[in-house]
Amino acid sequence: MMKYDVVVVGAGGAGMQAALNASYGSSLKIAVLSKIFPTRSHTGAAQGGINAALGYRDATDSIEKHFKDTVKGSDFLADQDAVQFFTENMPKIISELDYMGVPFSRDQNGHIAQRPFGGASSPRTCYSADKTGHVILHSLYEQCLQQGIHFYDDWFLLSLVVKDNELEGLVAMDMRKGEIQAIQAKAVVIATGGFGRVFWSRTTNAINMTGDGTAACFNAGIPLKDPEFVQFHPTGLASTGVLVSEACRGEGGYLLNKDGERFMKRYAPDKMELGPRDLVARSIETEIKEGRGFGEGMNSYVLMDLRHLGKERIMQRLPQVRELALNFEGVDIIHEPVPVRPSCHYMMGGISVSDYKTLATSVHGIHAVGECCCVSIHGANRLGGNSVADVVLFGKYAGLGARQTAENREFGSIEKLEEEQNKWIEKFKMMRKKTAGIKFFEIRDKMAEAMWYHVGIFRVGSEIEQALATLDEAIEEYKDAYIGDSSERYNMAFINYVELGNLLKLAKAVTIGALNRKESRGSHSRGDFTQRDDKNYLKHTLVYYDEGRFRLDYAPVMITSYQPEERKY
Amino acid sequence: MKKLKITIKRYDGQKSWNQDYEIDYEKGRTVLWSLTMIREKLDSTLVFSSACQHGICGSCAIKINGKTVLVCQTPLDSMLNLFKTDRLIYEPMSHFEVIRDLAVAWEPKMEKMKKVNPWLIPIEAGTKENGFLQGADDFQKISSATDCILCGICTSECNQLEVNDGTFLDPFIFNKAYRFAVDSRDCASEDHVHPAYENELWKCLHCMQCVSNCPKHIDLTGEISALRNMSMKMGETKNQGARHARAFYEDTWKKGQLNETMLPIKTDGLLKTAATKVPFALRMMKTGKINPLELQKPVNGIKGVRELYDYAKEVEKSES
Repeated sequence: MMKYDVVVVGAGGAGMQAALNASYGSSLKIAVLSKIFPTRSHTGAAQGGINAALGYRDATDSIEKHFKDTVKGSDFLADQDAVQFFTENMPKIISELDYMGVPFSRDQNGHIAQRPFGGASSPRTCYSADKTGHVILHSLYEQCLQQGIHFYDDWFLLSLVVKDNELEGLVAMDMRKGEIQAIQAKAVVIATGGFGRVFWSRTTNAINMTGDGTAACFNAGIPLKDPEFVQFHPTGLASTGVLVSEACRGEGGYLLNKDGERFMKRYAPDKMELGPRDLVARSIETEIKEGRGFGEGMNSYVLMDLRHLGKERIMQRLPQVRELALNFEGVDIIHEPVPVRPSCHYMMGGISVSDYKTLATSVHGIHAVGECCCVSIHGANRLGGNSVADVVLFGKYAGLGARQTAENREFGSIEKLEEEQNKWIEKFKMMRKKTAGIKFFEIRDKMAEAMWYHVGIFRVGSEIEQALATLDEAIEEYKDAYIGDSSERYNMAFINYVELGNLLKLAKAVTIGALNRKESRGSHSRGDFTQRDDKNYLKHTLVYYDEGRFRLDYAPVMITSYQPEERKY
Repeated sequence: MKKLKITIKRYDGQKSWNQDYEIDYEKGRTVLWSLTMIREKLDSTLVFSSACQHGICGSCAIKINGKTVLVCQTPLDSMLNLFKTDRLIYEPMSHFEVIRDLAVAWEPKMEKMKKVNPWLIPIEAGTKENGFLQGADDFQKISSATDCILCGICTSECNQLEVNDGTFLDPFIFNKAYRFAVDSRDCASEDHVHPAYENELWKCLHCMQCVSNCPKHIDLTGEISALRNMSMKMGETKNQGARHARAFYEDTWKKGQLNETMLPIKTDGLLKTAATKVPFALRMMKTGKINPLELQKPVNGIKGVRELYDYAKEVEKSES
């Protein structure tokens, strides 16, 4: 049986940071499993930047301001001790990234350049043109090559094996061979990214953002925290949902309705287009709902106008955005406004982390970091520029935490691991043999449609209940799904089938969380409960999965210095 | 309704075959859409790689009628118009190990990339605690090179790799070497340039296929020239490539044109040329391509040629 001290699952920013930091100066045996080649990970899609209160551009910026912006942005659902730790340590992490060779844009003094971003009271978002996540991802990969990190590419996590709340290891598929392996581990870091694909085509997420690690933890008894909080990015391209960076608004882009009005003046008179994401997304949807958008129904949109920035500034600051608009919408932003609409972008919720300094969860041996988890520093709404920040900072501490865990634990027994391995071997065999049933793509579309219409930007109790019923149907149908590929080697249909199983489970958790949160807070907007209700809901949702049943619980929010107040921009 | 005929080169790990598919044409769709349609409606055994769907993850390059593209950002119409056809042929990229159908393996390429030490070797002025200072102009030097998404299109299109035994580095690896060699935060240019030199840096054919197909518009050939220049400055002047370049440089300076008769001798030396190039030279003489008896005179406008040299030197000075 394969055996590693630390196994990291996922090779994006969080996973690679964890692997690097677990390995520096240690003799631990470390492996990184990823279902895709590391530099394909979704960290690379982050365009706009990474927040750190360095004060290069605005000397009045401070840790305190970054802290307050983040807590306010979270609509007071973030745990303030964790946010404090996060904002305090971010400047150091930026220097570490610089030292790794990340090519940051620079100011006239040779310092890392910073730009304004939504929800930020000072321009503190460090960037590399509009490819910040991309360059960070590649630099981390280069460091891993230098450090000799052992990658298992095209390995897919199937399940985590836990006995009496102690991790024993995991079961994964070597996709290229079609072999199912059990791996003994003292510590595991789950860094598998978000699960925006519960909305399938209505998301900016990569096609593989299916929450495999989140679902594996959920199955292993770790609760999901705040899964109902889903961020809709205000500016996806209208026809494909592809993300147009927040940097467009940061650089001064206008949002216009069909009357040519900068409608944000009615929703955020001070901040205008630079309001936080949830607010801007809802404003756009309201314009569309009230008939001031362009187009019809599912194809409605508003316009983002960047022409006044001028060719030079667009070419220098937003070259990739220009290319995206050209390739996917046929629009040159130098000469024309680009059609945009909100698109599911980010999951604030995820695997509940119980210690923000080590990223440990409630199961000994399992750590979780990045979008797959919930620390929580984003609360009910994440600020732009805080996600890559989250990934690289907490990735580091997850690596250090896992290292500590591995040094203090012994390998467990292998019986349950073998049992779980055999279960999956049988399942794979069975699914390859099956020649009839319900096509899993159809089940997927059914789920996505229910989620978009009823658990999307605007939510109402009766509609959420409808979604829940549809999801239950889809979960039933899933039992009779067939994959249509009998091969052993690189059977992507089987992988996609397992991914769908994960998505269905997570979609249901999102829906249960949304149904039970009878208030509007951050990204969670209830038509039937339009106000924030601190008296009853200033608390984290916890959804458990015990023996096939979803169970709901709540946990307190950590408030240190910033008492909840009305969130105005 | 207009139909789209697509032939896909399939591979299951053992055997390879061509499979034909037919789907309804829809205006304004991408190549990725056609692959998705085939997989979801017609044949779920089809394997291809795709992730971000907007040209940043580098997963999805394949060859279409021989031209390598990122399928996510390539409109079907552009391919149909380019090849003036209603039949498209999809194949995996060239010069990669194929896993299944259109999916290729990257690990062997990364092993190869390690040769150029593809990581920052920091200067002493930088620290982990405070990072570096770097001018905006120095950032500009690495800005384009760090756009590389490791999609492999340059490799697939490379004509040297078509004939090479595998030693020649893939263009994206030269890009990586260049990116660190010119980074003002890196103290060890030689550690990146020298392995590039050792791995057939001079064998690039300058066919520009990598440059014209790069989805991020990286000037790979220009970078390779720059790496050659750096290798000569580091003292690697006694090799075929450097001598060849030197002959071009000197001939043009002296006469404004090449001395084709002397070029092989300057490049390979008298003995090697005599041993290998005589029949070729005789053929060239016969067709009038070279005339060893001709005494070359400087071309009209030689003054202008030399001004170009001065200008190039000035530019180089101002850039360094």
